[in-house]
Amino acid sequence: MNQALALNGLSVAFGGFKAIKNVSLSVASGELRVLLGANGAGKTTLMDLISGKIRSTDGSVRVFGHDITNWPEHRIARAGIGRKFQIPSVFRDLTVEQNIQVACCNKHPSVFANLRFGVSAEQRRRIAEILDLTGLVAVARKTAAFLSHGQTQWLELGMLMAQDPKVILLDEPTAGMTHAETSKTADIINRLKGRHTLLVVEHDMGFVREIAQHITVLHLGEVLAEGSVAEIETDARVRAAYLGSKGIS
Amino acid sequence: MALERKIQLAAYGLFIAALFLAPAFGDEFWLNRIAKYLVYGMLGVAIALTWGYAGILNLGQGLFFGMGAYMLAMSLKLSSPTSLAQGSDTPVPDFMLWNAEPGAPTDLCCINKGSVLWLPFQHQWFGLAMGIVLPVVIAGVLGAIIFRKRISGVFVSIITLALVLLVRLVLVDAQPITNGFNGLTDLGWLTIGGIEFDPYSRATYYLCAASLSLTLIAARLLADTRASLILQAIRDDQLRARYLGFDVPVYQTFFFVVSAAIAGYAGMLYVVVTEFASPTFMDLSFSVTMVVWAAVGGRSSLLGACIGAILINMIEAQVSETEALVEAWKAIIGLIFVLVVLFMPRGLGGLAHSLVARFQRDEQPSVSATAGAARSETA
Ligand SMILES: Nc1ncnc2c1ncn2[C@@H]1O[C@H](COP(=O)(O)OP(=O)(O)OP(=O)(O)O)[C@@H](O)[C@H]1O
Ligand SMILES: [Mg+2]
Repeated sequence: MNQALALNGLSVAFGGFKAIKNVSLSVASGELRVLLGANGAGKTTLMDLISGKIRSTDGSVRVFGHDITNWPEHRIARAGIGRKFQIPSVFRDLTVEQNIQVACCNKHPSVFANLRFGVSAEQRRRIAEILDLTGLVAVARKTAAFLSHGQTQWLELGMLMAQDPKVILLDEPTAGMTHAETSKTADIINRLKGRHTLLVVEHDMGFVREIAQHITVLHLGEVLAEGSVAEIETDARVRAAYLGSKGIS
Repeated sequence: MALERKIQLAAYGLFIAALFLAPAFGDEFWLNRIAKYLVYGMLGVAIALTWGYAGILNLGQGLFFGMGAYMLAMSLKLSSPTSLAQGSDTPVPDFMLWNAEPGAPTDLCCINKGSVLWLPFQHQWFGLAMGIVLPVVIAGVLGAIIFRKRISGVFVSIITLALVLLVRLVLVDAQPITNGFNGLTDLGWLTIGGIEFDPYSRATYYLCAASLSLTLIAARLLADTRASLILQAIRDDQLRARYLGFDVPVYQTFFFVVSAAIAGYAGMLYVVVTEFASPTFMDLSFSVTMVVWAAVGGRSSLLGACIGAILINMIEAQVSETEALVEAWKAIIGLIFVLVVLFMPRGLGGLAHSLVARFQRDEQPSVSATAGAARSETA
């Protein structure tokens, strides 16, 4: 199997508190994997470890066979990992179009490679396409700070499309969205499928069913279960640990 | 967008035309004073580039300005008549002789312990080159350290502020080779290709006007590159930029260095115009004053910051002719600064942008999105 992302015995401790304990996980190329877990389970921390925001104390991260464990963030990004944050994070003082343009520049990321003007015709076409896919054409010239919450989330997804990384990490892409916004986000994510390998943190089970094939459940920093949507929904341990008595909604 | 671009182009064109037409309107003394303000204008551009575009508020820009000034001043000191007439074959600065120990040889090699450092400055080109090279190297090293350590915001300001004060202290302390508090005075004239730059000549004025024009155009072009867009992205959210694969410290250091080079260049010109270099260039108040110019003119507008610097100094010159206002000037400028920060955070440049945006909106009411876009543009 062609493994896009492989975590092996990954661990991290903050002070004495072990937030991630010996997590091993492998995501096949082109797969969309959902990461499920209660608040504080360590989902964001796991993404921080993969993307280099924090350094692991043990274990390894591989992207298509390359060991990228504890590399600096920008080198991990160049190795093919892109990320969307739980709190949407865009360049607030730039326009929507500029945000996407910046993300486009990442093929040649050095200062000197970017001492030139404008974008190539090819990139311009790509930017227009992304604006279209994310439904941001009407606000292309708007400063990102003035976007609605949903639009900001889509802009960040658009930036990921422009960045075009092999592996995409999405941390709660539908947090705070209305029902209509959520379903539009599902559309966008479904488009990313196949072209990219995705690891998505998500709580909304309806949404998970719409996008997911496989689910990994994280509990107290450990992998509790892994399987298809149906398997996870009926797994007794998952019900007990994560869902309490309520069951999966 | 296109209209805004045209207006911007026109503003630059008009400003540069005005620079070259100014000699028709005044005598040599007036021109000398204006030339000095043009040098301040270059400092405004340097500040705007780091503050507006990179979000780095350098409170020690005087460090690079002072370095440029001293490097060229050392060469001009050696070519001054006062250094040539000391009874030796090679020039020796007068202040070194005054303080020389009895029996010390009258030669740069060994008149005092540090004087050998002056030797290469006998070549004017060396002083000229060092006036850029030294600020660039120091800014490069400093930037690499600060930005690799992910220091940002007010901490960068504090470090640069502390550094300029430290260097000023060392400069004053190294009296035998820097002439301490008195600085370097009685300088010779800069001579390039047979042209002597008498500070009170049109040649010197045109040198400053051309330097400022070139700086403005170069900085404007730089600000239009993709690298500058990425830098602004870094200013907004460093972390996001890192996750896109950008080596953030390299971008920050690059623009920090460009800004230092402009300041060093300005320092050299200042020496040509005023015929002295002094530790006051590294006074904290001078570095802070530069920031005020840029704030009033518009920190995210290169031309705005430049005009801000020139305008404030012209007003100051007018005011100081009125006895009663001389003392009040510091209070007035302080008040202006506070008012600008409170009510016009984007300065005169920002004001101009809003006006253009409003005009545009009135012209084409359908394109409501452009107004928002215009606000975010930097000039
Ligand atoms: N920098 C840190 N220092 C100390 N503890 C931390 C740090 N980051 C996270 N933690 C702890 O690690 C645990 C996992 O946090 P994390 O943010 O990864 O949870 P999560 O699964 O993303 O939760 P949520 O669903 O609320 O986003 C929490 O108990 C949190 O308090
Ligand atoms: Mg989280």
